[in-house]
Amino acid sequence: MSEAVQSHLAHAGCFHCGQEIAPDADFHSQLDSAQRDFCCFACKSVCEAIYESGLQGYYQRTPQGTLLAPPPTPPKDVEMYDMDELQQDFVSCKGDARETHLLVEGIHCAACVWLIERGMMKVPGVSYANVNLAAKRLHLKWDNQQVKLSALIKKLATIGYSGVPYDPETAEGIVKKANRSMLYRLFFAGFAMTNMNLIAIALYGGADMGKFREFFEWMGWALATPTLLYSAYPFFKGAYSGLRNGRLTMDAPIALGLSVTYLYSVHVTLSPEAVGDVYWDTVSNLTFIILIGRYLEGLFRQQAVAATHRLMELQPRVATLLTEAGEKMVAVRNIVVGDRVLVKPGSKIPMDGVVREGHSSVDESLLSGESTPRTKSVGATVTAGTLNGSGALVVEVQASVQDSTLSKIVRLVEEAQSSKAPIQRVSDRIVPWFVLVTLVCAALTYFIWHDNFQLALMAATSVLIITCPCALGMATPMSIAVASGAGAKHGILVKNGAVLERLSKVTHFVFDKTGTLTVGKMKMEQMLVGAGQDQAALLSLAAAVERYSEHNVAHAVVNAAEEGKVAYRSQAVTGFHATPGAGVEAEVNGVRVVLGTLDWLTRNGIQPEVALREKSAELERHAKTCIHMAIAGEHRGVIVLADTLRADAQALVGALREAGIGMTLLSGDRQAVAEEIARQLGGMEVIAEVLPQDKDRVIQSLQQQGKVVAMVGDGVNDAPALIRADVGIALGSGTDVSVESADIVLMRNELDKVRQATLLSRRTLRTIKQNIGLSFVYNSIMVPLAMSAHVTPVVAAITMPISSLLVIGNAARIRNMFRKD
Amino acid sequence: MEVIYSLIPGMMAFGLFFVGVLVWAVKHGQYEDMEGNASRILLDDDEDALLHSDAPKNKKDGE
Repeated sequence: MSEAVQSHLAHAGCFHCGQEIAPDADFHSQLDSAQRDFCCFACKSVCEAIYESGLQGYYQRTPQGTLLAPPPTPPKDVEMYDMDELQQDFVSCKGDARETHLLVEGIHCAACVWLIERGMMKVPGVSYANVNLAAKRLHLKWDNQQVKLSALIKKLATIGYSGVPYDPETAEGIVKKANRSMLYRLFFAGFAMTNMNLIAIALYGGADMGKFREFFEWMGWALATPTLLYSAYPFFKGAYSGLRNGRLTMDAPIALGLSVTYLYSVHVTLSPEAVGDVYWDTVSNLTFIILIGRYLEGLFRQQAVAATHRLMELQPRVATLLTEAGEKMVAVRNIVVGDRVLVKPGSKIPMDGVVREGHSSVDESLLSGESTPRTKSVGATVTAGTLNGSGALVVEVQASVQDSTLSKIVRLVEEAQSSKAPIQRVSDRIVPWFVLVTLVCAALTYFIWHDNFQLALMAATSVLIITCPCALGMATPMSIAVASGAGAKHGILVKNGAVLERLSKVTHFVFDKTGTLTVGKMKMEQMLVGAGQDQAALLSLAAAVERYSEHNVAHAVVNAAEEGKVAYRSQAVTGFHATPGAGVEAEVNGVRVVLGTLDWLTRNGIQPEVALREKSAELERHAKTCIHMAIAGEHRGVIVLADTLRADAQALVGALREAGIGMTLLSGDRQAVAEEIARQLGGMEVIAEVLPQDKDRVIQSLQQQGKVVAMVGDGVNDAPALIRADVGIALGSGTDVSVESADIVLMRNELDKVRQATLLSRRTLRTIKQNIGLSFVYNSIMVPLAMSAHVTPVVAAITMPISSLLVIGNAARIRNMFRKD
Repeated sequence: MEVIYSLIPGMMAFGLFFVGVLVWAVKHGQYEDMEGNASRILLDDDEDALLHSDAPKNKKDGE
């Protein structure tokens, strides 16, 4: 056995995932002539499967000391992916040669890449398996005669990963193509810039006097022409479309500066005698620097498109249709309103509809943000994409796929994306005036010197070149680039640079409740016990029963026992039974234990104790959740649970209130619960029981009142609101969709980062203003010089880089902000 | 110094060649997954040697 394997064993955790093994967990396996211990059944079976396929080298490749997560739950009903009508969407078929991409959950390091590729290649019929570690995707090619897609997904599950097929082309195709062409333009500009600078240095260094002057000038021309026509094409296009709409955009002065510089240099090169200097280098340098900013912007847009795509992934593709002939799997788009579909326990609800048979609890966090499942029985409405709990449901479909609530959210997201007004940057407001003034100055200069044509032309163009937005154009992008970098280092990911300017102007914050201001998990606050009862003993019994339940409340009880170091695993539990929405019952060591709502106790023929009932009723008014407990038919105690506030929520809300910023708490939860949270935070406007589309509308109406709104959220239901808001801030722990929809992502779930982000944005805005001021000072010195025809090439060569360096240096100071903290 | 008449165009042709190489690389997905490929080259083909040095070497399976 190698050292690596030994050290993997050394820290006595689970052999597969390395996490701590609970003292009473009982999962062992005899592998490689040594006994291995595991934390759970999933880890054990995955590890055995890995050894069976001879891939144990995986464990040597895992970086030492990394804690892997236990394997994700394998997807259910994978057989549906074998249906040809379904495969049209994401599989490219050439006869039996099939090819697809899978989004894989559970990949964390390079060893996983190795394991998946090796594992899949060992399956007969697979001809190609390639994992993209950055995108967490698996590219597969296989022979459909020999192996089915479902078998491949199952194989993936046995080695500890869950995979879902998808089509990358429809997802990111168009935006990606646009970004690629921008990247090629950037490549060329980079190439032109480096070569051009060599030529420029030679010219500045004295070659402009010698016999090579003409040669250098022609070489510069050869480089500058394709740069202007190809690399700088987006600026000309942008300036033209701006002008056609009667607006002077940032593109206009860039295009103007570039073309004037270019044309003047052409004039100088073509003139038989030396009349001035060429500025070819300015053409390529400016193009390259501004293109970098454009390219980064394009990348952010690509992520925004991915947000909508991830939402669509939530929509199940097939449903079990109930017909007179029996059950049949069909693609959802073939299901019509009025059909009845069967929803199995643990699977997603495929269509919007009404429950006709069955009883279950449904996780509707998609819509409400609440992680506590809702009880659904006959007559209740259910929504596509939400997750069914432990019971089977028969659902009568009431809306087609296009009209489902999920599709509405997708449409809201798309609509918000397209209708959101582009943020007006500080520089955007100043630039048009600046361009006008420059043009007037240049015209004036020409007029002053019009007696001498050569001199007049030189002076007028030098006004344009000197003031060409070198510094002004860089004032904003440099500051934002530095601020984004500094923010990312401290866990504040700014996806859209312009938003940094916007954030400092925010007058109103809207917070999502669950998962944002609160942790989003139930936690035991206290335990009420009847007279003469031992609290630890009761908790031990409760945890022993609740460990068999999947319900949120149950997890909270078990966690409370773990935290309180109460032993519960040794209790013998038999006859466990759960009734969704009511409670659980079981026999522990032969004694009947009932846990649940007060109503559930009564239904089990248990007389509630008056003192406990009154106390719990009082607590429930304060939005606590009370679990009543009865042992051997007697009401003995109440476990009080509540969602806890994040530790730093109070500080953030206090700081914002002090700054005079308005706040709204927006929640899909009950009014009472939301108000209780607002009360704990010192009071704020509360809008509760809202649906995703309402959240979007609340933001809109705030904006109509003239407020600049920032939204802080984490759930799928927050996605439209995050996009609609002037600034969307998502917590890193949030769903993929919310993270993709937001402008700013907080990598660590510290609400204090919201305050830091605000400070960062103020600092950035101040720096941008300083930079614009700096370039104005520079211009007010240089423009009179240029107008009086006093700008010699040497002066230009020295002052132009200095102005740029000043702007860059000032922007770099933004990083100091975090040093103070 | 007349050599620069050929050196500078040569330098540009050389530079253009590398722009072409970059474009080719992007088109063929060389930058799609920086982490994965960086690690993959270190992980290949040595598992048997590592695990059972006495076992017969199984060369290049798969790919």
